[in-house]
Amino acid sequence: MSLPRYVARRLGQSVFTLLGVVTITFLLVNAAPGDPVRIFIGPSADASAIAAMRAQFGLDQPIHIRYIKYLMNVVQGDLGQSINYRVPVTQKILERLPATLLLVASSFTFAIITAVPIGVLSAQRRNQLSDHVFRIFGLIGVSTPSFWIGLLLIIILTYHLGLLPATGLVMPWAPPSAVDHATTRLDVLYQSGIHLIMPTLTLGTLQMAAIMRIERSSMLEVLNQEYVSLARAFGVSERTILRKHAFRNAQLPVLTVIGLNLTTALGGSVLTETVFSINGIGTLIITGVNARDYPLVLGTTLFYASLFVIGVLITDILYAYLDPRISYGDES
Amino acid sequence: MSDTPLLKVENLKTQFFTEAGTVRAVDGVSFTVERGEIVGLVGESGAGKSVAVRSILRLIDSPGHIVGGEITFDGKTVVGFEDEPGTDGEPTRREEMLTNTEMRSQIRGSEIALIFQDPMESLNPVFTVGGQLRELIELNRGLSKQAARDRAIEILREVGIPQPAERFDDYPHQFSGGMRQRVLIAMALGCEPKLIVADEPTTALDVTVEGQILDLVYDLQDKYDASFLWVTHDMGIVAEICDRVNVMYLGEVVERASVDDLFYNPQHPYTEALLNSIPRPDQSTEDLQPLEGAMPEPINPPSGCRFHDRCPEAREVCQRTHPDLRTVTEAGQYAACLKHDAFEAAYETSRPLTDESPAAGGDRRE
Repeated sequence: MSLPRYVARRLGQSVFTLLGVVTITFLLVNAAPGDPVRIFIGPSADASAIAAMRAQFGLDQPIHIRYIKYLMNVVQGDLGQSINYRVPVTQKILERLPATLLLVASSFTFAIITAVPIGVLSAQRRNQLSDHVFRIFGLIGVSTPSFWIGLLLIIILTYHLGLLPATGLVMPWAPPSAVDHATTRLDVLYQSGIHLIMPTLTLGTLQMAAIMRIERSSMLEVLNQEYVSLARAFGVSERTILRKHAFRNAQLPVLTVIGLNLTTALGGSVLTETVFSINGIGTLIITGVNARDYPLVLGTTLFYASLFVIGVLITDILYAYLDPRISYGDES
Repeated sequence: MSDTPLLKVENLKTQFFTEAGTVRAVDGVSFTVERGEIVGLVGESGAGKSVAVRSILRLIDSPGHIVGGEITFDGKTVVGFEDEPGTDGEPTRREEMLTNTEMRSQIRGSEIALIFQDPMESLNPVFTVGGQLRELIELNRGLSKQAARDRAIEILREVGIPQPAERFDDYPHQFSGGMRQRVLIAMALGCEPKLIVADEPTTALDVTVEGQILDLVYDLQDKYDASFLWVTHDMGIVAEICDRVNVMYLGEVVERASVDDLFYNPQHPYTEALLNSIPRPDQSTEDLQPLEGAMPEPINPPSGCRFHDRCPEAREVCQRTHPDLRTVTEAGQYAACLKHDAFEAAYETSRPLTDESPAAGGDRRE
């Protein structure tokens, strides 16, 4: 099976995943106490205004009718109108997307480029001092809640040392006129960088620790394989064994963990954006939930689910690239 | 120089320091391999054969350590310790003993190559078969990438891979077990070492493929003039290809003989027991004499002769006295058994241990 066909089939299958996500979210938000119209208009509104707004958003119809209507709209690419913002949900998501993507991309980049070498080193120096230090660090990393790391960083680096700004993100491509303390493009990049450091560490530490641990154990397992003994018996140097003979084989479980960690990263972005007051999709979800803005909650959740599905698909495609024994869809 | 053996192993001791105690996997083993010779190293699983051959390449992983003895290969000291231990009680390396780097660059692969046992696990699944072979030839023969590739294809043809140029870029999972074993042999031959150590390379294969592989090795040995150290538990293979044989039991060599002497005139009861346990076409299964019991753990070997608790000919003296390997026949056959006169151990006057055992083999030796 060719790659495009494989991708098409997998995307077809993911329709069912997304349908499940929509259905469960739809039922959950409707089951939650509170009424979006009352929250929006306020406690002192009269009954006719409430009824008018309910009718405007179709909330006066029975739940199964609303569910079917919503699905019909989603199929046509329409995620509905936000009750709170009075604009299309899609517009709101696209507006907030760059900040979240920047944050998640920066965190993953940080996590991968630190965790992979450390994990390999740790495996190579198994049970030596540096390995123990890295392992303890990894254990702390996976067991610490990200928002706590964020708060701690703010207390130390902003409150006590005054080194880094604690709120907001600056897009590296923003015009200098729109950015504080910036007159040139270089200033914008600098501001973007220093705004990114703490959110990246906050969101990235968990990923880094998780990747580091799996990299270490995966490398250790591969280093015990007979084909590594064979390379050693034929005079291949330890360096080459580590870089060539063991590394590629060890990356399969690492890839899985990175792919699956997309969920924790997207979930973590909600917390991180809240701690650092970043206007991304994470804070959009929080706003939607607080306002019982059904279309907004559904739309953002569906969007995150789609990102995750695509992430897992990319992971699976990379598998086949790393391991020749895996081919696309042999089972069919 | 040509009158010294290619490989000389003397009193080799390799031990594993585990929490349960010290495992004496190889305990004072000596043997030689002459140039152009195929020497067998035979014994049951756990006798220490694999540890012995890996010690020759100094490929023992922690908690294992070579703690004593001497290995010389082609004039080079692979293992050599001072007689006296150092101040810390650890054995001291002699100056001429090769460093780890020298072992890697001068010995492993280029001078001594190992044919691995398990064809399914010994090839890297994510690289092509040809690429792996080419890399080792390039490294150990100092060829250019292209020359190594040509050589790799040539050697794949010699070991009987059909259409080697087309199959060069296939991955291991596209090869059968027998084909992969041929690739492992090609790896050893392609590096053109003086000594090839075969660590039970046919154990994982079915009998017909095993036969083909043995024929192949026999042909190629002639052509490449390599010496072989062949590790196996299969007496049939020994009879087929070996010139001389060392029989190992529980970390020691208990008999050494030419292949004919060993089969027609075994001098150690263990060798005899191994031969009696081979099915033969002229005997029914009732005639088979399987060796009773299992080999004891090398962590706590029996006192005296290590074989005495399974030996049909054991006597009281065997519990007390540990026999070393001595010449026991005029033909120069070696055995470590007190029943031979060379040991002057008063074996004849000692009380037998196995009177009550029905498995006593006395009536079978005539």
